[in-house]
This record gives sequence, structure tokens and C-alpha cells, in this order.
Amino acid sequence: MTTVLQARSLTKRYGPLTAVNNLTLEVYEGEVFGLLGPNGAGKTTSINMICGLLKPDAGQVCIRGQVITDGDASVRTRVGVCPQNVVLWGQLTCLEQMQFLGEMYGLRAKTARERGERLLNEIDLIEKKDKLARTLSGGMQRRLNLAMALVHDPEILVLDEPEAGLDPQSRVLVREYIKSLARHKTIIITTHNMDEAERMADRVAIIDHGKLLTVDTPEALKRTAGEGDVLEIEVDAGLAESALAAVSKIAPQISKTNHTLIIRARGVVELLPAILDALHSVNARPGEVRLRANTLEDVFISLTGRRLRE
Amino acid sequence: MRAITVFLKTLREMSRDAWMLGLTLAFAPFFVLLYWMWFSGGSTTYNVILINQDIGAQSPAGSTFNAGDQVVEAIHEITYADGKPLLKVIYAADRAEAEPILKNRGAAAFILIPEDFSQTLQRLAGGDRSVTTNITFGGDVSNPYYMVAVNLALTGVDRYVQEATGQQPLIRYAEEPLGVSAARTEFETYVPGTLIFAVILLIFLASMTVAREIETGGLRRLQLTPMTSLDLLGGITAALLLIGAIAIALSFVVAIALGFRSLGPIWVAILVGTITSLSVIGIGMVVASFTRTVSQAFIVANFPMAIMMFFSGVIYPLPKVTVFAVGAREIGLYDLLPPTHAVVALNKVLTLGSGLGDVLYELAALTVLSILYFAVGVLLFRRFHLRSG
Repeated sequence: MTTVLQARSLTKRYGPLTAVNNLTLEVYEGEVFGLLGPNGAGKTTSINMICGLLKPDAGQVCIRGQVITDGDASVRTRVGVCPQNVVLWGQLTCLEQMQFLGEMYGLRAKTARERGERLLNEIDLIEKKDKLARTLSGGMQRRLNLAMALVHDPEILVLDEPEAGLDPQSRVLVREYIKSLARHKTIIITTHNMDEAERMADRVAIIDHGKLLTVDTPEALKRTAGEGDVLEIEVDAGLAESALAAVSKIAPQISKTNHTLIIRARGVVELLPAILDALHSVNARPGEVRLRANTLEDVFISLTGRRLRE
Repeated sequence: MRAITVFLKTLREMSRDAWMLGLTLAFAPFFVLLYWMWFSGGSTTYNVILINQDIGAQSPAGSTFNAGDQVVEAIHEITYADGKPLLKVIYAADRAEAEPILKNRGAAAFILIPEDFSQTLQRLAGGDRSVTTNITFGGDVSNPYYMVAVNLALTGVDRYVQEATGQQPLIRYAEEPLGVSAARTEFETYVPGTLIFAVILLIFLASMTVAREIETGGLRRLQLTPMTSLDLLGGITAALLLIGAIAIALSFVVAIALGFRSLGPIWVAILVGTITSLSVIGIGMVVASFTRTVSQAFIVANFPMAIMMFFSGVIYPLPKVTVFAVGAREIGLYDLLPPTHAVVALNKVLTLGSGLGDVLYELAALTVLSILYFAVGVLLFRRFHLRSG
């Protein structure tokens, strides 16, 4: 595997706050790399440093071994960024803004126009090419927002929450489009959506408080969170603590949220009678019982905790 | 090359914002039209109240006459070069009747002719130098029109008294106006100021256009390209400059259609206006550097706008505050304001008939200020908005 992008000991401070703390990671050629983290974890700051928008206080970012330095314009053309917020010029048509941005990246007008048309076609907006961007629906604007990140044919594509605000049809289209791009480009996706990351990412990094907590494939990460399936049992809130203590003797990998016990174990269904007996022993009547497979969200929560973030 | 791309994109966006473009282009021509309507296409006629308490006198031939009434005719004879009266007389019986009119600024001043006015003039005409009488002038002295109206009315009364008594003035005063300034209507004297006013207002358009890029995130997207601050601000400035030049040219077309006469070449005046626009846009870029939203830009731009309006001589002339001298030329504090030079240059060209050679200093000053403000704007913009933190 060839390393395309490398972040070495990246650190960024804002006064007393260390937004990114000694972050080191590698992104390989042609992979979809998911960057996960709760709000304020340092995802955007990390991405901004990777794009060259932000200068790190320490550490460096390399693209194919070349260190990105502040003001190095040539590196910028190798990265395409699709921001989470739709950023369009409302008074320009779809094609005009593709051409405008392409020219700003240094393409010839004709090339930028041709590439813009091709991308609009791929993202299913070619019929709207002469419509002003402000007249498009929200979903169309999001698709255009994505296409604009590709107009200069970047080697690395950074997508910030690419599925946010999309209707189901557009979501499928964008997802398939990103997958098709992955054959030719290296893609970094930041997201809160675990399904999105699980479906699309080849590898996932989870960061919190500016630190890298883990990086691996989704399957490998799920294994680290615990073997087997997950059983969720609702109990009376007042008895949740005693229920937790009773069940933990049978299934040690147990946690709770409010009045729900979360039990993770290989062959958890076979343990169910014993668990119900344990609940009965502390007079905790089980409410709803749910059985599901281990998810990336479990990994995420186990690593970053349940505390709400700003 | 990228600056041209930004230039075309800005023009395209502006052309599609019909309301904004229309306002920008129509603002100065509309103000020219307003001034023309305000001055009825010419100049101000000042209202004066005549309180004529003169009881009249009998001439040696036996006929009666009232000098107070004849004063009115003398006042009406004071006219602009085009024959339009400078003063209009309103009659009042006494001061009690005149006062409310003055308070409501229905007139600028009153003239009170005493009851013995005719008799005194008659005796003076007969050679009796022992008599005199008092004509009283008054009004709201804080009214800017007061001084003009009183001086003009005094001139008319004095002229009549000399004619009626046959007395020669001790000294004759001759007025020699510069160029053909005396022949200018008040409307014509206001046209240059209106043009500069319109140019000053470009500061809003300039700062808000740049701030919009910041607020909408467009700048962030452009930061990902190899664009420089000079590309962005240069392109936007060029587009605004074109809009400004068109607005100025349109204003001249409207002014000329309404009777404005330029004694110097119009193209020089347009050149002055265009370079002034460049410097004002430069100040707009400085404003944009300190702001992040369109509304912030609008609020902050008011500050330099007000300074340019009130301290550059656009509205009224100000005493020079000399800071230093370059050779024989004194450089004043207000010379840092581009409109200061524009006012002088436009006055020279439009009113005094000067050509390009006569306004080279002002053009040079405007060019230096344009480069200075634009460069400061680019540096600050790069510092606050483009440099990775």
C-alpha cells in the first residue's frame, strides 16, 4: 500500500485549548478513510491542516512525501474539499461556478467548462447546468457542492459530512458516486454518521479531544469493542443499578444508559434465560428486549463516552 | 489571469442582481435629477420679508411717492446671470407677522423700512446732510441662507438709496469672478459634489461585495485554490471600478441633459471620478479586511464614509490643517482623503475650464492614495482572512 497522505505529530493550539494533540496518521492510495469524532474532537481542525488552510503549531503534513508548507499553492491543487456547509455562488449557474472554480484552480476556461459538464452529468445535474445555483433544491445544491470539489481533478478528496442534508435518493446517488471515485482517488470522509462510515470507509480513525484514539478497518474496530452480538434490555430506572450488578456476574461486558442494560457477549441469546433469572432475582422486570449486531457506533461510544459534547 | 476570472465572475453576479446594480448605477444620476428639481433647474431664490412702514412723501411736483415700494423693485433687479431673481419679496405688516415665517424658515431675513424713509431720502436728495434713518435687517442668523439673503438685500437697498439721493459712493467695488463661475447656476455648482458623493458611496458596495465572499464561505472555498489576495481583490476592484465609471458617465449624461455645462473636457472629469473611485474602493477593501459579514461591513464602512463626506470639502470647505510640506506644496491632514483632491480637480475642470495639465497634481495625489489604500487593503485582507492561522 502506497501512502498518499501522512500527518506527523500534528498539533494545533488555540490559547489554552489544544484542538489537535500530536495526531499521526497515514492515508493510503485509493482508500476511503473515515475520520470520526464527536463535536469538538478536532476533526475540522485536522482537516483544515491537511488541506493547508491552517498552519499547525507543530508537526507536518506530507502528500506523497512532499511536506505541505504554508503558502505552497501547488499542493492545494492536489486536494479537493467538499465543505459540510453548502458553499455556492448563488448568482452563477451550475456550469458557471464549475468553470469559475476550475479556472481559479488554474485550468483553462475550455477545460474547466468541459470538466464541469462531465461532473454535472455524473452527479445527475446536467439538465440544471444553466440554472442559477440559488434556484436548486437543497439536495441538488449538496450534489453541486460535491462536484465542485472535483473540478480540478484532485488526487485526494476530502468530504465533510457528505450525506448530511440529502434525501434518500440523493444519498444513494452520492454514496455510489463516492464509491466509484474511490477507484481513482484517495478519499477522506469526516462524519458523525456511523452507518455512513461503516458502509463507505475502508479504514476508520476515531479522534477525541484532539487525540487519535484508534485507527483500523470497521470490522477490526468492531471486534475490539467486544466479541459477539449486543443485547439491550430495558428495566425500571430505579432498579437499573442492582440489575447491572446482578447481570454482570453472568455477562461481564455490560454497560447501561438510563434504564437500558447493554450486554455484549458471544452467543448472547443462549445467555438470555440466565440473564432474565438474574433480573428476576433483584425484582427488575424486563421491558423491551432488543438483539442486534455489534456496530461501529458501539466502538465509537465505548471510546468517546456518552457525555454530550458542545 | 485569476484576477480576470474574478472580475468576470463579479460582473456576472452583479448583472444578475438587477436591484443592486440598478441602485448603484442610478444613484448619482438620480441625485443630479433631484438637485435639478430642487433648484428648479437653476439656482436658489432667497425669500426676504419686507415690512414697509414708510408713510411716503410728497414730491416738489406735488405727486406722492413711497420709497419703500421702490426698494422692492430694486431688490427684484438683483438677478443671476441667466436673469433669474436672487431674492423674492414676501410682505408682512409688522415684525409680529414676520416672526413665525422666519421661525418656520419660510424666509431667510426681514427688512424693516421705517416710516420716515421716503422723507429722509427726499431731504438727502435735496442736499440736507443732517438727516438719517434706520433700516433694520434681521432673522435667524443660524439659518445658512440668512447671510446670503441679507447681503444681497443690502446691496439692492444701497443701490436704490444711491440712485434716489444722487450720492456717489466713496469707493466703488468691482467683482471679477474666476473663470465663468459667476455664470454658473447653483445646480451646476452642486453637480461635482453630487458625483463625488456617489463615488464615496462605492465604499459600501466594495466592502460588502468582499464581505459577502467571507460570509457565504466562498472565500474559504477560494482559499483552497492557488488564488492570492491580489487576484481576488484586484478582480473585484476592477469590476467595481467599471461600475463606478459607468455611474459617473451616466451622471454626466443626465446632468448635461438637464442643462449642466462643463467648461473643461468631460473625459478629464470622468478620469478624475474613476481614479477617485479606485481609491474609495481601496478604502472599502481596508474596511472588508476587518469584517466578516455584510452587515458588519455596512456598519464599519459608515465611519470612513462620514469622514470622507465631512472632511474632504464635498459638503463645505474646511480650513487646511498642514501636516508637512513637499517643496512649496503644503500637505494637509485632509489630503489623505481622496475626495479632497477630487473636489479641487472637478471644480477646476468643470467650473474653471481647466484641462488635464492643470489637474495633474490632483490626479497624481489620487493615484498615490489609490495605490496606498489598495495595497493596505490587500495586506490587511491577507493578514486577517487568507493567511492560515
